[in-house]
Amino acid sequence: MKKTMFGIALAACGVFAMTSVGTAFAETSFPRNLRIVIGSKSTGGDTYQNTAIVAEALAEKLGINVKVDAVGGSTGFNTIKRVSNGSVIMMFHDQAYLGYLYGKKGYDNPFTEYRIGPSVAINPGNAYLVAKKSPYQNVEELMAACAAGTDVRVAIQPGGVSEIGYSALKNAIRIQHPGKEGCLVAVNRGSQSDKNQAMFDGLADLINGSVQANEQYTRLPADDQKAMRFVWLTARDATIKQANPEGMGETSREMLLAYTDPAVSVTQDGSKNFTFDKEFFFLFNKDMDQKLVDELDQALTEIFAAGDIQKTQKKSFFIPNFRPSAEAEAYFKDKAAQYEVILGNLK
Amino acid sequence: MEFLSNLDALYFVLILAGTLIGIIFGAIPGMTATMAVAVCLPLTYALDLNHGLALLLGLYVGGISGGLVPAILLNIPGTPSSITTTFDGYPMTQKGEGERALKVAIVSSLFGGLLSAAVLFSFAPLLADFAIKFSYVEKFLIILLALTVIASLSKNLLMGLLSALIGIWLALIGTYSVEVGGNGDMRLMMPFMEEFLYDGFSLLPVLIGLFGVAHILEEAEKGIHETHTDMKDALKNSLPFSFSVFRNQKTNLVRSGFLGTFIGMLPGVGGSAASVLAYTQEKNFSRHPEKMGKGAPEGVVASEAANNGLTGGALIPLLSLGIPGDSTTAVLIGAFTLQGVQVGPLFIGENVDTWNTMMVGLLAANIAMFVVMFFAIKHIAKVVMVPKHILYPIIMMMCVVGAYAINYGVMFDVWTLLLFGIGGYLASKIGIEVAPLVIGFILGGQAEVYFVKSLESFGTLTIFFTKSPIAVVLWLLIAISVGFSIYQASKAGRAKRDTDA
Repeated sequence: MKKTMFGIALAACGVFAMTSVGTAFAETSFPRNLRIVIGSKSTGGDTYQNTAIVAEALAEKLGINVKVDAVGGSTGFNTIKRVSNGSVIMMFHDQAYLGYLYGKKGYDNPFTEYRIGPSVAINPGNAYLVAKKSPYQNVEELMAACAAGTDVRVAIQPGGVSEIGYSALKNAIRIQHPGKEGCLVAVNRGSQSDKNQAMFDGLADLINGSVQANEQYTRLPADDQKAMRFVWLTARDATIKQANPEGMGETSREMLLAYTDPAVSVTQDGSKNFTFDKEFFFLFNKDMDQKLVDELDQALTEIFAAGDIQKTQKKSFFIPNFRPSAEAEAYFKDKAAQYEVILGNLK
Repeated sequence: MEFLSNLDALYFVLILAGTLIGIIFGAIPGMTATMAVAVCLPLTYALDLNHGLALLLGLYVGGISGGLVPAILLNIPGTPSSITTTFDGYPMTQKGEGERALKVAIVSSLFGGLLSAAVLFSFAPLLADFAIKFSYVEKFLIILLALTVIASLSKNLLMGLLSALIGIWLALIGTYSVEVGGNGDMRLMMPFMEEFLYDGFSLLPVLIGLFGVAHILEEAEKGIHETHTDMKDALKNSLPFSFSVFRNQKTNLVRSGFLGTFIGMLPGVGGSAASVLAYTQEKNFSRHPEKMGKGAPEGVVASEAANNGLTGGALIPLLSLGIPGDSTTAVLIGAFTLQGVQVGPLFIGENVDTWNTMMVGLLAANIAMFVVMFFAIKHIAKVVMVPKHILYPIIMMMCVVGAYAINYGVMFDVWTLLLFGIGGYLASKIGIEVAPLVIGFILGGQAEVYFVKSLESFGTLTIFFTKSPIAVVLWLLIAISVGFSIYQASKAGRAKRDTDA
């Protein structure tokens, strides 16, 4: 009966109250209603999921209402460009600067146009897969095929996170087999569904996917048209090692490590391997009050020190990754500079 | 049968609450089922997966169904998929048959919903395997088939085609989005417009503007004559609802329900295409096609059976492939990820109890939708009795609020609403036809993506004819659809000439 009453109360609490979390009062310079816009339009994706976890913790810590709005990259950037009083901040991931590096419309240089805020988590699932029946067993064979002059088609979403692994692979072929990088051919697709379909249709030899979205496909029998195999996870092995031992679905952490550096080698510059962690961080209006930035850093420092948020993040296959604003800015500048070199090499 | 323990009182309370809230969202122009699910998604944090899904399934079914109310009573599609419901639903209201139209729509919605739930339950994995046979080529041909409705909808074929082309052109304004595999370039706009039109015109403000605002402007031009006494008389003398209206609609119901389910299971094609396609087919096969668009119940039946058929259909790829079938199920996937549950090709086998619980939920949500709407409709239908000087400002306010809210507070969407409202009003003065324009707008973007991607993938135009047996069947359907339209047009022309003579 209690549960029923709870359900009725939930249903009755009204549409607007539904979207906000946390209402207790506390001392804060943030407005009572904080809006976090995200760079994705999906409320079913990792950006929303990660932001929802952080928003809930922040609401409780700061005693304010925090609302997450899935407005997408362009609208999100325009919004934080306009609002400097701290009532709207943005959560996004490496796409924020990769979009700029790839010259995608609607993306400015985030290091000059906005202010980089604290980082909070990594999605370690960025993956590359082949069909289970594919003749290619691993990344080495895919690169060898290119070296032999065979075209290898890769389904990606162009202009960002989905493309960076493809660019790195092309760069590695350029270093190891100069002149053959043209054999790695991008097949531009949109959603994960489109990339999968490219494989089902036999139009792609390799697709960009994720551990979360594609793990079940890797467990299908080989004679199933939909069956796939992981060949590469771009995450650092140190990142995967922080995941829960059970990994995702039936694929344990140990099994995942077989697809990461150093087990899989994609050279970045001939001396070290390329890795890519998809990391989530805040972006602010560049004129936002330093006091607010410090307050957010402090709140997150305390939230992560308490240790509860890490459990929630790991349960959802995120790797906790808190860095205060100043540290995060320096880190992402360096990361972007490294990828800029790779993309520059391919021009 | 362990899933029975999931079906407690709270489960059904949440379904009922979700359905109610969903109907309200669907009934307010500008608010959609997608928005209802997105807004309530954070509520599910406090619930376990099954209870969370109960709420969301109720919202989904309620949201899709609620759109029929403003479509029929106010000529404003509450959701994009109820666009074809306006074609015959509103003329029925004008004849004083609003309540009858609403009841026809609700029964059709229930049938479509239950049919698709049955298909989902019985054949989900099998159909998911069939769905992946549809590549860009086949999806383009489906959109082309839906576009053939323009031929039969147009009052003047040439103007209808021109209107549809304008609609397609408007749909292409904005970025060729990388999210659909495009190059991210902006086109068909001046540089100063880029900030506002990066994502193009939003669908719902365009729809509400062209239908709702333009209609209000037309009425304002005529001057507001209080017609509620006339309407009262019309209501008194109108045909009451009877289930006998479905006597000749069995084929229509089944065909439209299946079409909705089928379109729903194809990721990306979307609900609007489902109702447009069902409406086209009914018009082609109807014994009295000339009556359609003028208040024929069969038009309402086709549209509503198809758009509710979509609910079960769109869940097929979600639960069998981990891929959402439409924008609402794309939000629904959030409930699974937030609970740490993977959806993919092994979901059903590994989560039998959740699967069975969801099926009961879908069934219960459809029944709840029917009960709530069927018995409340008598009162809702009286909205047409509200004097226009009170009703229209309220509608305008709802349209503006809905447009502003659709993308979480973008003012340009309100300007879009007003721009298309004025545009729609002016268009009718110069003979531009709104219905073909809207269909062109809804389907134009998808047609472009599927066409370009087909060419990119296969490099030749002949692929549209040779890709697969499915493509050949679709071409046959397109030819039949166009053939029927030409035949009907010439028949109607002959009849008119005979009458004139």
